[in-house]
Amino acid sequence: MSAARGTLTHPARTGLLLVAPAVAFVVVFVMVPLVSAVGISLTNLPLIGSWRFIGLENYASVLTDPTFWRAVGYTLLYTAIVTGPILLLGYALAVVVRANRRGATVLRTIFFVPYVIGLTTLSFLMLLEAQPDSGMVNVVLRGLGITDGSTAWLVDGPLASGLLCAMVIWAVSGLTMVLLMSGMQGIPREVYESAELDGATWWVRERTITVPLLRRTIAMTVVLSVIGSLLAFTQFYILTQGGPGSDTTTVVMAIYRRAFVQLQLGAATAMSLVLVVITGLVTAAQFWLLRERS
Amino acid sequence: MELTRRQLLALLGAGGATAALGGCATPTTAVDVGAPGFGEGARGTVEMWCRSDTVNGVQTVVDAFHAAQDRVRVRLTPIQNGQYVTKVATAIRGGRVPDVIDIDDIYSTMFAFRDVFTDLTPLVEDLALGDALSPGHLALATKDGRHYGVPFLGDFSVLFCNTELFDRAGLDVDEHTASFDGILEAARAISALDGDTYGWSYPGNSSGALGFTVQPHVWATGTDLIAGDVGDQRGNVAGNDALRRTLDLERTLWQEQLVPPGCFADDASRWSADYVAGRLGMFPAGYGIVAPNASPELLERSRVVLLPGPDGGRAFFDGGDNLCMPQGGKNPEAAAELIRFAVALEQQTRMPDGFYSPVRSDVVTPEFEAEHPLVVPTLRSLDAGYAPTTLAYNLIYNQQDGPWLRMFRRAVFDGEVDTAMDEAQTTYDRILRQAQA
Repeated sequence: MSAARGTLTHPARTGLLLVAPAVAFVVVFVMVPLVSAVGISLTNLPLIGSWRFIGLENYASVLTDPTFWRAVGYTLLYTAIVTGPILLLGYALAVVVRANRRGATVLRTIFFVPYVIGLTTLSFLMLLEAQPDSGMVNVVLRGLGITDGSTAWLVDGPLASGLLCAMVIWAVSGLTMVLLMSGMQGIPREVYESAELDGATWWVRERTITVPLLRRTIAMTVVLSVIGSLLAFTQFYILTQGGPGSDTTTVVMAIYRRAFVQLQLGAATAMSLVLVVITGLVTAAQFWLLRERS
Repeated sequence: MELTRRQLLALLGAGGATAALGGCATPTTAVDVGAPGFGEGARGTVEMWCRSDTVNGVQTVVDAFHAAQDRVRVRLTPIQNGQYVTKVATAIRGGRVPDVIDIDDIYSTMFAFRDVFTDLTPLVEDLALGDALSPGHLALATKDGRHYGVPFLGDFSVLFCNTELFDRAGLDVDEHTASFDGILEAARAISALDGDTYGWSYPGNSSGALGFTVQPHVWATGTDLIAGDVGDQRGNVAGNDALRRTLDLERTLWQEQLVPPGCFADDASRWSADYVAGRLGMFPAGYGIVAPNASPELLERSRVVLLPGPDGGRAFFDGGDNLCMPQGGKNPEAAAELIRFAVALEQQTRMPDGFYSPVRSDVVTPEFEAEHPLVVPTLRSLDAGYAPTTLAYNLIYNQQDGPWLRMFRRAVFDGEVDTAMDEAQTTYDRILRQAQA
């Protein structure tokens, strides 16, 4: 007998009913937009004016566009630079605040506040603080005798990238800290106590207990961090607008330019779908690398 | 009927694409503003958008319009400058457009060439001003001889000269601003006056401001950095002698420290600071940059000339705003009445009060000249005004990651003039190819 003719109590039908809301949500808010995007990417749809189907022309154009691939390369480099420090700093902060000792709550709040403030606000603040001579970044560096305080951070590609990476690592580590801390607090105290009885040092306990038991949480934070970095836009848009030249142009910024400066929605959508594929491949690779091994 | 998984996916795809593209309807309602009786006794509300940079000037005109009649009310919505094109384009795509838009003339072209603005040729012809109505503004909104915008306010790039510093250095404004040799000589002499005075200035990290003030040096020779008509344009960068000499001039000014060191990183947020402080001899900028910030005494001792070419000739960036009517507006008759009012002589004469220039040269009378001497030079030479008619201006000149700023910085601050021009040629060509696809 097929599931369609079963009763409400039939396990298959019950299961379908239970997942139906989630399936409907995914269909309406993920599948339909995705399919629509594929349709739009096969046209030359501009933001103004008429459109026509052009087949795979947009994809051919994107795949041979050096600007797009330069943006992809820069985004991957940026992702590679910030992911490790975000994880390590987040882990270190989680270690500091995981115990419910005096002052831990205050420290958690302090470490998490940059993430709450958000990259948009922080970027506008940094725009002021990175100004030559007058910005706090330069004032501090001059005070420490490291520079003469006239560094124009945002008009030099490597300097701007360094500043952006430092700001993002500082801002986002708080989220990693919270995720890892909750995972650490879920590890039974008895495991550590028995290790201590066996004479395990702090380092050994971290390496042989905490990290293995946090493996899934670490994998999740890394995946989230990498996806966030691949889709980076706000901080670059505010601080450098992709410049100088195209030195700090990320993929999403290139897509934004194509859609809302060149007004070419069809081509921008094709670029977006290529980015979806790239993000999917990177995420799949991460899942494979971070998979549970028996 | 049962659907296979493949059929279901195909149906979803077709439905999704149809829904997505079906919502992208563009209004095509054509209005004949030249029809007999059109706009007479119009009533109701006019929805008008303006860019945030020009809201004061536009609001003054709207207030005067309200005072002059009580049939039509204008609801003015300022839109942030950087988002203006996107908002207008999105409104057009969504079919919910304002009746009138006050748009940066440089962006008029992309809309006019996509046939989404109402043909306003009869309004322009009724003015019967000929070349006395800013030709540069008009050219940017003209396609196939039809005008899709009416010039409204002028924002022209000129060279402000501090006559006190010129006098102290023993220089003559007209003679020493007529060519690059003269400019260099003047910049050296003024910079030598004391350690805190400089001959020249530019915002070296602002693509838009550099486009506004540097390009006229090239245009003064009769050439542009973009060649050909819209639809078949390419870059004219590599091998462009006027451009090369312009970049060499800016490079020399930097090398010899004839510009303030802050020019290296200035994103135009401190653009006029040195000039209004009396520390600059020559300052390429617009009236709206200097006049609101300078003291009456400094304005009194300032003179304005047009920007020179390497060996002579003069030009200016014919910037500012056009008034346009997106097709599909709800009250086109009242919108046309507002446009007629805005470009009338009385309103145009008051433009300098909002720190803009009029767009019609017949405003110049002895009284006007006595009151606004810094606005008059461009009005007396409206035919020297120019701006490139292209679909790619925004991407090439107004984006911080565009080829114009990259070329300028690489040439001026790194000294790689030829390499910078060759690189820019490639990028200009690619962007123009994409924009015209």
